[in-house]
Amino acid sequence: MNAMLEPVERYRRLIDAVAPSLPGDDAGWLTSQRARATEHFVRQGFPTRKDEAWRYTSLERVLEQVWAPNAEPGLQPATADIAAFHLAKDAVARLVFINGRCLPGLSSLSGLPAGVQLGSLHSALEQQPERLAPWLGQAAQAGVSSFTALNTALIDDGAWVHIAVGTKLAGPVELLYLTTGPGTVAAHPRNLVVLEDGAEATVVEHYASLDDTACFTNSLTEVLLGAGAQLEHARLQDESAAARHISNVFVQQGHSSHYRAVGVSVGGLWSRSEYHNRMQQTQASCEIDGLYIAGDAQLTDVHLDIGHAVPACTSRERFKGILLGRGRAVFDGRIRVEVDAQKTDAQLANDNLMLSRDAEVDTKPQLEIFADDVKCSHGTTVGQLEPEQLFYLRSRGIGADDARRMLCLGFATEVLQACSVDGFRARVETRLQQRLAAGAVMGNSGE
Amino acid sequence: MLTVKDLRVSVDEQPILNGLNLEVGEGEVHAIMGPNGSGKSSFAHVLAGREGYTVTGGEVRFDDQDLLDLSVEERARKGLFLALQYPVELPGVSNLVFLRESLNAIRAARGEPALDAATFMKVVRDKAGQVNMSPELLKRSVNAGFSGGEKKRNEILQLALLEPRLAILDETDSGLDIDALRVVADGVNVLRSPQRAFILVTHYQRLLDYVEPDYVHVLSGGRIVRSGDKSLALELERRGYGWIAGEAAA
Repeated sequence: MNAMLEPVERYRRLIDAVAPSLPGDDAGWLTSQRARATEHFVRQGFPTRKDEAWRYTSLERVLEQVWAPNAEPGLQPATADIAAFHLAKDAVARLVFINGRCLPGLSSLSGLPAGVQLGSLHSALEQQPERLAPWLGQAAQAGVSSFTALNTALIDDGAWVHIAVGTKLAGPVELLYLTTGPGTVAAHPRNLVVLEDGAEATVVEHYASLDDTACFTNSLTEVLLGAGAQLEHARLQDESAAARHISNVFVQQGHSSHYRAVGVSVGGLWSRSEYHNRMQQTQASCEIDGLYIAGDAQLTDVHLDIGHAVPACTSRERFKGILLGRGRAVFDGRIRVEVDAQKTDAQLANDNLMLSRDAEVDTKPQLEIFADDVKCSHGTTVGQLEPEQLFYLRSRGIGADDARRMLCLGFATEVLQACSVDGFRARVETRLQQRLAAGAVMGNSGE
Repeated sequence: MLTVKDLRVSVDEQPILNGLNLEVGEGEVHAIMGPNGSGKSSFAHVLAGREGYTVTGGEVRFDDQDLLDLSVEERARKGLFLALQYPVELPGVSNLVFLRESLNAIRAARGEPALDAATFMKVVRDKAGQVNMSPELLKRSVNAGFSGGEKKRNEILQLALLEPRLAILDETDSGLDIDALRVVADGVNVLRSPQRAFILVTHYQRLLDYVEPDYVHVLSGGRIVRSGDKSLALELERRGYGWIAGEAAA
């Protein structure tokens, strides 16, 4: 008997219960998409540790709890409470979600140029579902995992971003996802970002907690890039220590499009980020940089699935991890170069800095290459702070803890400087310093 | 200022300093010369507090404190500075941040307030100009991708900025072309003062053409086997180290 059957059944009932209230239920394409996803989800169930991609992650703790989707927040935060979560200093628009629900009162959407549509997916599906039909579900259907299917079955709210042909946004669009109690909370945000040919934009996703409520976030972002479109996609998962978080990003790239991502994972008890990129037209390129920080009781999990299906595309993936205390990390990065994808240029790197003897990382880079004229490489490192570097800093009067902090920040810099969003890097550096200060004793034990 | 008495040090139970004695007074410049493997660099590193060396005997007093009892950073804060033969690269750590944190740590130890950003920038630009260092190198990661000469200039910049009481230069002259050597020498000469002492660890006499030492010592087999004035350096240049080692053994 499948131990995961019971949670699946519970979620199936949940889906049945909320289905009538979901937006766009008069749009046939959407209801059938949801139905297919439900069916897929029920058939497949939740993954177990027997699944290779879930070898190091036990879901039992996530699944034993009943997570209520879109629970009403106990306290409605004020605009002033939200300001502390702003990342991008020069954001042109902000959308705020609480427990998965867009709150227009806390969002600012005024002054967007012509050719930009931005707002709640829920409203868009209620008002003009046909507008979204060409895109919603297009990128995500490429890999239907249980959580992807669950998110699709429950498509309700999230961000809807559409940038018309040739339109360039002057500053970042910031999407803020907050959770708050009372009780346990689940959110399944569904974001759809469409850049038509030649469009350029920066989108920031920020996941955080208003309190220490145990929450489960299952977010899914679909990105569709037209020919020559350029998207910078910065993401920060900075939820409370009681949070469970899984996010799936699906990217579909057109000819000569460029996708640049920086993904940072700091918070959460368990946090998993997956990037699924499909370069479907020639000359597309993607760069994905990531940083994860895990300390006591934390498990952070990164999965990359980079698909080169056509010739002459370029991909660069570089993830760095900083492990403290009893922190654990999993990095599973895969680049797949299909038989037609000649002249592919792909590089994958994962470097881990272990600040404690008790930390653990499982790293697994994979290149699956079916074309013969390609340039591909991968490399991973797991190491500690270099004694020579520590000595050098200390010999200049810098204290041992400060020296460690500077070297850790230096380790993260390469990833963070890939992000052009003003305010993003500073926030992550602050978080990292706080974590290092809290784990200073652990740092010492790492010597 | 610095008194080294019968210092004995080993690495992995292998003795490398065997009863080293040295007295350095304020304002003095001492050159320590010696063949490869004589223990010159080890001596410099032991003074700075580098891990991996076991002091098995003797003592080192720095301004009436037991130097060997202090941590690496405490030694630096008391005014000891070691310019490395191979300056370490710190990828991702901005040179400016490094220099500012160092200077402010040292200033705090002296009871001086931290410099604000604008004042610091002015000071560091001035000092960089003195050592002919391109301002571009201030913005880069510490020593990362610097040429050999640029790394040495960066060491001299730190020396100029931190204004130590005792500066030890560990083969700072090695591998330098004549222009870089002049920068190092000028850096030392400008900073020479009645309150500041230097120990120049060097294999060759070349640096001493530009920085005139008050004393020259020859280190061999982990001990100082001969001391003299600058004429000793010239004699070493002419005759090599063999005769001294021979004399010491005799």
